Amino acid sequence: MILQLFWTYIKIGTFTIGGGYAMLPLIEQEVVDKHHWLDGEEYANMIALAQAAPGLIAVNSAIFIGHRLAGWKGVLACVLGAVLPSIIIIIFIAMFFRDIKDNPTIEAIFKGVRPAVVALIAATVIRLATKI
Amino acid sequence: MTYLALIYVFLKVGLLGFGGGMAIISLIQGEVLSRGWLTQTEFVDIVAISQVTPGPVGMNCATYVGYAVGGVWGALLASVAIVIPSLVIMLTICYVYEAIRNRFQQNKTFQITMRVIRILVVLLVAHAAYTLMTPASFIEYTSWIIFAVVFILMLLPLFKKKSPATCHLSPATCNLSPATCHLSLLSNPILLILLSGLTGWLLYA
Repeated sequence: MILQLFWTYIKIGTFTIGGGYAMLPLIEQEVVDKHHWLDGEEYANMIALAQAAPGLIAVNSAIFIGHRLAGWKGVLACVLGAVLPSIIIIIFIAMFFRDIKDNPTIEAIFKGVRPAVVALIAATVIRLATKI
Repeated sequence: MTYLALIYVFLKVGLLGFGGGMAIISLIQGEVLSRGWLTQTEFVDIVAISQVTPGPVGMNCATYVGYAVGGVWGALLASVAIVIPSLVIMLTICYVYEAIRNRFQQNKTFQITMRVIRILVVLLVAHAAYTLMTPASFIEYTSWIIFAVVFILMLLPLFKKKSPATCHLSPATCNLSPATCHLSLLSNPILLILLSGLTGWLLYA
C-alpha cells in the first residue's frame, strides 16, 4: 500500500508539467478512477480543501490521501512522491543551466521567453479575477 | 545565515501561499527581489524553466531559488520548508474533516473567507506581474508583441464554454469562430514558452 501510494504520487509529481490546475484531471484519474481510493464526492471535497489550505495543491492533496489511506506513513510516502521528481529534476537543470546561461543562443531564447512569462502571470490575474 | 534565511522565507511562503502556483511564485518573487538574492531577469528565467519542467510550478520554483541562493543544500532546505506549513495545516484539516464531512462547503464563514482570499490572491499576482514589466525583460518593441500575443492566447479559453480539445474537434458547437477555436489550442503555458523561446532565437540570435 505504502509503495503504491508513493509510486502513484511519483507519477502525479512527474507528469504535472505546468502544475496548478493542469494536474487535477491526472489526480482524479489515479485516485478515483484507477485506485478507487475516494469516491467522486469525496474527491471534490478533497480538492476544495487542498485549494483552501495554503501551499501547493499537489502536496495538500498528497497529505489528504496519504493520511486517509495509511496514516503517517502514507502522508510521508505521498508527499515524498509528489516533491521528489521536482527536486531531482530541478537540481540537475540548475547545475546544467549555470554553465550555459551566458551562451548567446540561450540568451537570445530567454529574451523571447521573458515577456511571455510576464504575460502568463498577467493573464493569470484576469483568469483568477473571473473566478472571484 | 543564508540557510536560516532560506528556511524562514520558504516557511513563510508555504504558510501564506494561498491560491496555487502563480500566487506562490508571486510571493517568492517579492521575497527574493527585496532581499537582493536574484535579479529580476534571473527570477523570470527561473519561472520559465519551472513552467516547462515536470513537477508543480511552485515546487520547481522553490527548489530552483533555493539552489540559486544556497546550492544543493539550499534547494533541499527550501523544498522541505515550503511543505512544512502544508503538513501542519492539512493534517489538522484532515482531523476536523472527519467530524464535519460535507457541511463545510455550505458554511457561510468558509465561503466568505475563501472569497476574501481569492480577492487578495488576484491583487498579489497583479502586483507581481506589474513589477516584472521592466526594461530588463522588455528589451524592445518585439518584446511587447510577444507579451500581447501570449496574453491574448491565454485568455481565449475564457470566451468559450467547451474545453479546447472538444472545441477543436467540433468548432460548430463552440461559440467562437472556427479559426479562434483552433487558436485556443495554443493557450497552453508550456507550448507558449517553447514558441516564444523559438521566436527569441529567430529574432535575437
